[in-house]
Amino acid sequence: MAQAIISQILIGVSVTAILVISAIGLAVIFGVAGVINMAHGQFIMVGAYVAAVVGHHGGNTFLAIPVCFVVVAILGLVVERGVIQWIYDRPLETLLATWGVGIILEVVMKLIFGPELYYVGAPKVLNGSVHLIGRLPYPYYRIFLIAMAILMVAATFYLIFRTDFGLKVRAVRRNRAMSGCLGIDTAKVDMMIFMFGSGLAGIAGAVLAPIKSVSTTMGFRYAVDSYMTIVLGGVGNLWGVPTGGGLIGEAETLLAYKYNSVIGELLVFICIVIAIRVFPRGIFGYHERA
Amino acid sequence: MSTAVSEIRAAQKPRRQIRRARLIPLWMAIVGALVVAAIGSFPLAAGTDSYVLLLLGKFLCYAIFALSIDLIWGFTGILSLGQAVYFGIGAYFVALSLKINYALDHPTRYGNKFPDFMEWNGLKALPGFMEPLVSTPLAVACALVIPTLLAFLFGVITFKRHIYGVYCAVITLAESLILQEFIIEYQAYTGGFNGITDYSNYVGTPFLWFILAVSVAFFVIARVLTHSRIGTVLKSVRDNDTRAQFMGYNVANYRIFVFCVSAFMSAAAGAMYAAWVGIVSFLDAGPQFSVEGVIWTAVGGRATLVGPFLGAFLVKGLEFLLSGVLAEFWQLIVGALFILVVLFMPDGIVGSIANWIRQRRKGTLAQIREDQDRLAHDRQHDWDPAGAPRSGEERV
Amino acid sequence: MALLEVKDLTTRVSGYTILKNLDFSIEANELRVLLGPNGAGKTTLISMISGQFKPSSGKIHFAGQDITGWPPDAIFLAGISRKFQVPNMYETLSVYENVMISLQSDRRVFRCMFKSVSPAESDRIWEILEFVELADKANDPADTLAHGERQWLEIGMLIASNPKLLLLDEPTTGMTQEGKQRTAELIRRIARNHTVLLVEHDMHLVRQIAQRVTVLHQGQVLADGMLADVVANETVREVYLGKGKRG
Repeated sequence: MAQAIISQILIGVSVTAILVISAIGLAVIFGVAGVINMAHGQFIMVGAYVAAVVGHHGGNTFLAIPVCFVVVAILGLVVERGVIQWIYDRPLETLLATWGVGIILEVVMKLIFGPELYYVGAPKVLNGSVHLIGRLPYPYYRIFLIAMAILMVAATFYLIFRTDFGLKVRAVRRNRAMSGCLGIDTAKVDMMIFMFGSGLAGIAGAVLAPIKSVSTTMGFRYAVDSYMTIVLGGVGNLWGVPTGGGLIGEAETLLAYKYNSVIGELLVFICIVIAIRVFPRGIFGYHERA
Repeated sequence: MSTAVSEIRAAQKPRRQIRRARLIPLWMAIVGALVVAAIGSFPLAAGTDSYVLLLLGKFLCYAIFALSIDLIWGFTGILSLGQAVYFGIGAYFVALSLKINYALDHPTRYGNKFPDFMEWNGLKALPGFMEPLVSTPLAVACALVIPTLLAFLFGVITFKRHIYGVYCAVITLAESLILQEFIIEYQAYTGGFNGITDYSNYVGTPFLWFILAVSVAFFVIARVLTHSRIGTVLKSVRDNDTRAQFMGYNVANYRIFVFCVSAFMSAAAGAMYAAWVGIVSFLDAGPQFSVEGVIWTAVGGRATLVGPFLGAFLVKGLEFLLSGVLAEFWQLIVGALFILVVLFMPDGIVGSIANWIRQRRKGTLAQIREDQDRLAHDRQHDWDPAGAPRSGEERV
Repeated sequence: MALLEVKDLTTRVSGYTILKNLDFSIEANELRVLLGPNGAGKTTLISMISGQFKPSSGKIHFAGQDITGWPPDAIFLAGISRKFQVPNMYETLSVYENVMISLQSDRRVFRCMFKSVSPAESDRIWEILEFVELADKANDPADTLAHGERQWLEIGMLIASNPKLLLLDEPTTGMTQEGKQRTAELIRRIARNHTVLLVEHDMHLVRQIAQRVTVLHQGQVLADGMLADVVANETVREVYLGKGKRG
């Protein structure tokens, strides 16, 4: 019994990793610019398809990661310049406009690639599993995912806290008006951070593609999970994403094990809604000091 | 100020008149009467077998759904991407009841007198908790009351904590997705992917008139609400909920109220939809439908009440006409519609027309004065309605 | 018994202590000006009194009631109205509607649903509109007003709510000299029938209308008294005006 629970907890860790990987790009954008990209799931999907193409041409996931980052970052640039830059002051409407972008992306990808499912294989070196705790096999790929999650958070941390650009980002996040007065091109910061966040979504697509099959509708689930992670974890602090992801990941895994996955989701959702009564902007969000 | 100016000012006594639209302006009454007459007489002219008749009833239900979204979004500023939850629950209650009753009169191949999808999923009898649904009036009552209670619960949990804007939108989206997955998972009770089908439907002149009557009633109710003082309060909550709160209005209570009214309308629309169309599926409760409702309202014109009707009929009508020809490309148009409406026509069709009329009425001089004022003042919109912090300074 | 009494108020925000054991009181029908350098805690004090944030410790009493920690709408109903630093009003509503919705009335959902405007209320609204010189713009949406007019509209909305205490947070921000003069005159007229707590920076203006002033510095009361005395106070001159400068 204890072994079953421990194995579920370990599975939960890899679920957390998946949540973190999906959500970090979105969190960065929302934290700085205050907009939620409803096409985030589709960005991940595009990343997955690019990874499929890379795989088709003989590459593997490791190669796909930088390629997907660049491709989806460029996609993000197009979306930001074309649509989002005009409506930063209307965050609710950005939801609708980016939902439209998402629909368009789905249709375009379906037209290019057709409705069949694609299978992207994991790199051969990551096949197989390691044996933890008795006879529980823990796939190498899961460990890879955990490593990727840590890497992506670390890379984001580095960008935001150790670079000049990151300094500007933090200034804009704290006080946009003042930063503008001090000469920071806030529009450019928004644009670059949107590109970065999109690129992270691309990496997510590359890394998540081998888990299940790649299809044009695969992204929506990841997107909603990302939103929940951000709502719970908050975006005031980079720790929000791993915390939110961790709580949701473990809770969902354990509850799904006990009941079934749909009940697990429902219970986690209810818990999130109750939790944000205490943390209206997420656990690590900016708090109303009341 | 010179005496000459003050003399002129004194001579121009301001006219103490408030320009207030009447409850039902003449044009609205005329257009409404024409539309109602047109739709109402259609079955008499074209017979009850026409596919267009089916569409008309369907579109009316969609329009009520969009109207309910306009109430909370257009007038109160709550963007809920999960209103289909209430539509869906209303629809499923009625569909289940009708299906159960149908099965009693039309036993399955194996002689079972309960819905076929339950049989396919291995149920041996009608589940106990579903037996009360044999009574259709009870089912209709549930279809209306339960979603409203759910909305009340949701409102108390979220609005009392001032969770609004983007956070509310995303949470309601997740809520809709979870309900959709619930419906799919528990297919023994809900029909799952296939939905609930093959129960007698009520397509026909009397029921169309009923749906029409309900549409008109809801429209009038919405108009009365938004036109009266509470409508002004809701708009003030939408425009600046902080100011409203500091003016003594319990913003949460108002949001909960209008959210419940909206859920009730959505549920009613869903209930009628289930009875009219004869097919109900998980799609009617899911996020895609929820967001579609929002876009109909946006296209037609939010905060206009007429806009949702126009938007629903227009978009769905175009879909009917074009999707056969365009297939995949129709979705492309829908996606583009979202973007274009938000960027270029935020007030929707009806809203843009209203703006245009207002400009014409004011005249050029007033327009020049307006433009000058706009250029002259420096406006700092510090309170971000989305809830995401912008200028860090004012938090202190 | 003072109308408003603040006792031992402390507020900590993200590790910073903004208000430190602050004691403060206002008598009825006073016009008190709150002065102090930036960051002294003036707006924070206003926020505490109006219920925007809860203090970390201390008490606020108003008209004999303990209102510490009350939500803003309850504090409004107790009789305190607040004007924000940045003009806050209902942008798409007309000027008339802005004032109408602010009139003192029963604010509960089911009470105010279908209430129409009585003739007495209508007269009052026009009276206020004329007082803030916006009567000829009554039908215009609030977002078409110039900045100074927006400030005055908000003041008008506050008057409509018939408060016992008016909290005015820098109501002349962004105005021209003439605008400031007229606003000063407006405030003076308002102060005849209301208790007013005014936060202001412009010393020129303060000299015109102030009776009693309180100077805040780093979250505490530095000086309190009649304007002439406070201005002559050495510590105040050092802190606020800089050593050796004339005020």
